[in-house]
Amino acid sequence: MFIGEKVGKEWTMDQAPQYAIDHVANSKKNIFEFEFLNSLSEKISSFFGLTSDSIFYIDLGITKHVFLLFFVSTIVVSTLVTLIQAYISHKKNIPNKFMSIVEMFVIYLRDDVLKNFIGAKEYRDWASLIYTIFFFVLFGNILGLIPIFDLTGLIGKLGYQADMLNKDNVLYLLSKGGHTVTANVNVTFAIATITFFAFIGAGIQKYGFTQHWKNLAPSGLPWPLYFVVVPIEFMGLFIRPLALTLRLAGNMMGGHIALVIFITFIFSATAELGGFAGFGIAPFSISLALGLTMLELLVAVIQAYVFALLTAVFIGMAIHVDH
Amino acid sequence: MNPLLTPELGTYVWSLVIFMTVLFVLRKYAWNPLLDFLEEREKDIAESLKMAESAKTDLEQIKDESEKILNEAKKEGKAIVGDSKQRAEESAAKILNDAKAKSNEFLDDAKSKIEIEKTRAIKEIKEEVVDLSLELATKVLQRNVKDDDNSKFIKSSLEAVKADEAKS
Repeated sequence: MFIGEKVGKEWTMDQAPQYAIDHVANSKKNIFEFEFLNSLSEKISSFFGLTSDSIFYIDLGITKHVFLLFFVSTIVVSTLVTLIQAYISHKKNIPNKFMSIVEMFVIYLRDDVLKNFIGAKEYRDWASLIYTIFFFVLFGNILGLIPIFDLTGLIGKLGYQADMLNKDNVLYLLSKGGHTVTANVNVTFAIATITFFAFIGAGIQKYGFTQHWKNLAPSGLPWPLYFVVVPIEFMGLFIRPLALTLRLAGNMMGGHIALVIFITFIFSATAELGGFAGFGIAPFSISLALGLTMLELLVAVIQAYVFALLTAVFIGMAIHVDH
Repeated sequence: MNPLLTPELGTYVWSLVIFMTVLFVLRKYAWNPLLDFLEEREKDIAESLKMAESAKTDLEQIKDESEKILNEAKKEGKAIVGDSKQRAEESAAKILNDAKAKSNEFLDDAKSKIEIEKTRAIKEIKEEVVDLSLELATKVLQRNVKDDDNSKFIKSSLEAVKADEAKS
């Protein structure tokens, strides 16, 4: 939902929270309709005995966040593959500006995270996962900060007034809903699921299936303690990915909601106190939003790093049981 | 239900599929080649550093050696120069002495020769003078010996010449 859409319409202060939530949540409608996806969704859901009114109905329709996932992954893959292939085939050992940023992250993650937590020998098996998590989340976070889809809404509103009344217009649909994929719990939960299977897989790869599960609790404890330790450790297995899910999604949601709330100060002041109050409060709320955007840029990098770091830590914990 | 926490299993499935695809593609075309490349480069750098280190020690050794050689050469050169200087001085002194002796010899020779020539010349002059006087006297005597004064003068002149001759 693009900012400014409500200007000139009826606005009351109590609309602000819902407006901010709509600005972060996924779109309610599909942006592109594909018949085969609808029938596939129905088939898969009926296989699990789910009907379309269930909240667990597996709807594979291209909502805004699914579209954004394709968008982000295309940008991640094309940028990184182009940069790295150009760098490697050059043989000159001198990275260009963007490549040196990528290389800085890659070398930092390798030396300070991968080698440190996973180990100098084993790190190559898990490096791709950690790097992909880092860059995927980073690009998702940063693209969420660039209001490209607010612009499509604006273009639609200014240029295609007639079309915008048609609710099936792609530009109109794109302007609806949040555009930060990493603020969607389902997306972050999917990445956390991969982390979950990665750290279990790492343990099984190193110790074999049975020994890995025995490693869950330290050996040599008095036997009654195992009744406490084993359930706690077992719960810990599931809490880790859940914590990852909520940490990333919560951080991205929070920043964007605060950003939108700061902007709505202008609408609320205009609606409640008149146009002059709106003009008066604009510099204040815009500078707050600007400062918060700067902070969000920092948070975007930090959260991507934290997700990658914790994945590495969990894999390392499964491999090095003795710590 | 809060739209921010609604389970959207479709989005979840899409996320898994897309993330795994990205992981697979990047693993093959980005991360593995890049890590290989970085490792190779680091190995290269380490090797180059090692080589530079050994080259440095080699260079230092060579420098030391060359300094030693240079010092020796300097010393030898100094010795050679000193030796030849002495010899040159000696020979110069000798040549000078010889020359001096020879010139002295010449000088003495010349002096004695001059002395001999001188006495001979004086003697010849005297003989000539005597001859001339005699001739003159004869001529005067042949004309006339009238005056006593004249004869007296001739006499005394002759005596003077004689005395002169006797002196020498």
